[in-house]
Amino acid sequence: MKVSLIFLLLLPVCLAKPFHQKGLFDFMLEDEGSADIPATEEPIFPGLGPVCPFRCQCHLRVVQCSDLGLDKVPKDLPSDTTLLDLQNNKITEIKEGDFKHLKDLHALILVNNKISKISPAAFAPLKKLERLYLSKNNLKELPENMPKSLQELRAHENEITKLRKVVFNGLNQMIVVELGTNPLKSSGIENGAFQGMKKLSYIRISDSNITGIPRGLPPSLTELHLDGNKINKVDAESLNGLANLAKLGLSFNKITSVDNSTLANVPHLRELHLNNNELSKVPSGLAEHKYIQVVYLHNNKISSVGTNDFCPPGYNTKKASYSGVSLFSNPVQYWEIQPSTFRCVYERSAIQIGNYK
Amino acid sequence: MKEYVLLLFFALCSAKPLIGPSYFTLKNIMLQDMEDADDDDNNNSLFPTREPILPLIPFDIFPVCPFGCQCYMRVVHCSDLGLTSIPSNIPLDTRMIDLQNNKIKEVKENDLKGLTSLYALALNNNKIFKIHPKAFQSTKKLRRLYLSHNQLTEIPDNLPKSLAELRIHANKVKKIHKEAFKGMKSLHVLEMSANPLHNAGIEPGAFEGVTVYHIRIAEAKLTSVPKELPSSLLELHLDDNKISMIELEDFIRYKDLQRLGLGNNKIKDVENGSLANTPSLREIHLERNKLKKVPPGLPYLKYLQVVFLHNNNIPKVGVNDFCPTERSMKKALYSGISLFNNPMKYWEVQPSTFRCILSRNSVQLGNLRK
Repeated sequence: MKVSLIFLLLLPVCLAKPFHQKGLFDFMLEDEGSADIPATEEPIFPGLGPVCPFRCQCHLRVVQCSDLGLDKVPKDLPSDTTLLDLQNNKITEIKEGDFKHLKDLHALILVNNKISKISPAAFAPLKKLERLYLSKNNLKELPENMPKSLQELRAHENEITKLRKVVFNGLNQMIVVELGTNPLKSSGIENGAFQGMKKLSYIRISDSNITGIPRGLPPSLTELHLDGNKINKVDAESLNGLANLAKLGLSFNKITSVDNSTLANVPHLRELHLNNNELSKVPSGLAEHKYIQVVYLHNNKISSVGTNDFCPPGYNTKKASYSGVSLFSNPVQYWEIQPSTFRCVYERSAIQIGNYK
Repeated sequence: MKEYVLLLFFALCSAKPLIGPSYFTLKNIMLQDMEDADDDDNNNSLFPTREPILPLIPFDIFPVCPFGCQCYMRVVHCSDLGLTSIPSNIPLDTRMIDLQNNKIKEVKENDLKGLTSLYALALNNNKIFKIHPKAFQSTKKLRRLYLSHNQLTEIPDNLPKSLAELRIHANKVKKIHKEAFKGMKSLHVLEMSANPLHNAGIEPGAFEGVTVYHIRIAEAKLTSVPKELPSSLLELHLDDNKISMIELEDFIRYKDLQRLGLGNNKIKDVENGSLANTPSLREIHLERNKLKKVPPGLPYLKYLQVVFLHNNNIPKVGVNDFCPTERSMKKALYSGISLFNNPMKYWEVQPSTFRCILSRNSVQLGNLRK
């Protein structure tokens, strides 16, 4: 490490041409001519070549420049960089040439800056970028032309109001999209916006202003997290075809009803969080569902629980046993729930009923 | 009878939900196998880049992963979830956990228990004020620990000896105990800026036996260059402090220093000979200080290429302030000298002052504001 650092630092020295006496006042005059450089700005010295930016750490192709108060992306980053961490700075804009030459970059961390603008061509050189973290910025929209190699996109806590199909189209390596805490409404999500991502496995749009489950979700989806929104109804149609969905998070919404065929549309669901909603009854279809193991229903308005709400009438229909069912903080009194309701649960600690105040 | 029913339910309700013990133990066995199979210590990359394994959902042994987090390729991502504590069901073979931007207050004794493969842990941007002294007992391979933007008042005790990088920016650290870094033989990067740290807060001997290459203690309350930092230092960044003077002995331990950042302090004077202790210096930043002259000794620093002196009180520059007098003396050419915003008349600076620069763009003079 030491040797390579020295080498890097010495590189400009070795590349330097022998000193030539220039016209005596040349550089001074030039300096006078360039009086437009704002006095408080950092000096700009061209031709230093790629070195580790001052105060950053460059080690094992990781360039670590977090918490430095930078207001722009440093120039001349080592071109073999694989991870660039620029979090907690004051960068306001990503410009076209900011990442040129960074053809090996795998991960770009821009979390917690003040970015409101990303040049459409800025990410074009990043042919190998897999992870792009843009959380905690001031973006109103996601950038177009994100690299096709992208696997993970995080843009939590921005000012995004619109999700357009064209932004995601063709991002066929994408696995994770995290867009929570944005002022995003259902009307801002274009129909089928996510459909263009063939491998997409995880979507999270929590703590936003969504009023319904987005339509046209890709069938590859295994997790969908929409907690903390304003959804008032679980509409079976939007979950149709999600044969791989295993986890569905819908807690802290305003859901009053769950369509009858909802659970049938997601045959491989294992975990369903519907706590802190306004449900008046247990969603139908749980008893017939083969794989469901965790159902959160606490903090709702469920006033009665039927003996066939959770378990099938006979035995041996359910493949997986429940490992977690929560019903506390509902108007239903626990002594009103027939013990046989949970006849298909073998682990008695899996059920939480009481504590209703 | 009624009491009995109540009691029974009480027992039910106080039990923790979730995690069917059956598949949990099965998973444990599996993880142990995996660990033996690909325990590659040499792979230091934070984000392994192999083809991801798409979860095809093996139903009876569904991977244990905290709800809302993503667990793949031994990386557990739980950022931005509003978590108030570290989730309990983290797969034991995890190499990296990202818990940034949550509301975690405490790292408890058993939070990281059994995570023996853990390589990187990001806890930055939480509300951590307390770390249990035994919290890191299992994580014997932890290399990178990110604790920036929390509420810690001191460097936690008993951090893993394996640490290579510790970032604890923007906390409330006032004290570095003598034992804080004890035995951390491979600690290379230490970032602890933006803490209310005074010189007196660094206990003597705190860095003994540690070979850190890069230390940054910017935006703190230092009034002089700390003298007991590791002698292995290649980079020292002390910008935005209250250092008023560079004394003869300040760098006596730091013979390998290559980059020195002292911008935005209150330095009035660099004592003659103090820079002779750092013969490998390549870059020195002294901008935004109160210097009255160019620091002495620059021509003798053979490798020095960048000198920032803008925004000081330097009224004039001597013809031999930067370049050696003997022609035979080898010296790297300067690639950056900044002198603007000093009360000097640039037309009085002899052109030969900069006879050892890389190109004429390497010097920035003028721009003195009235």
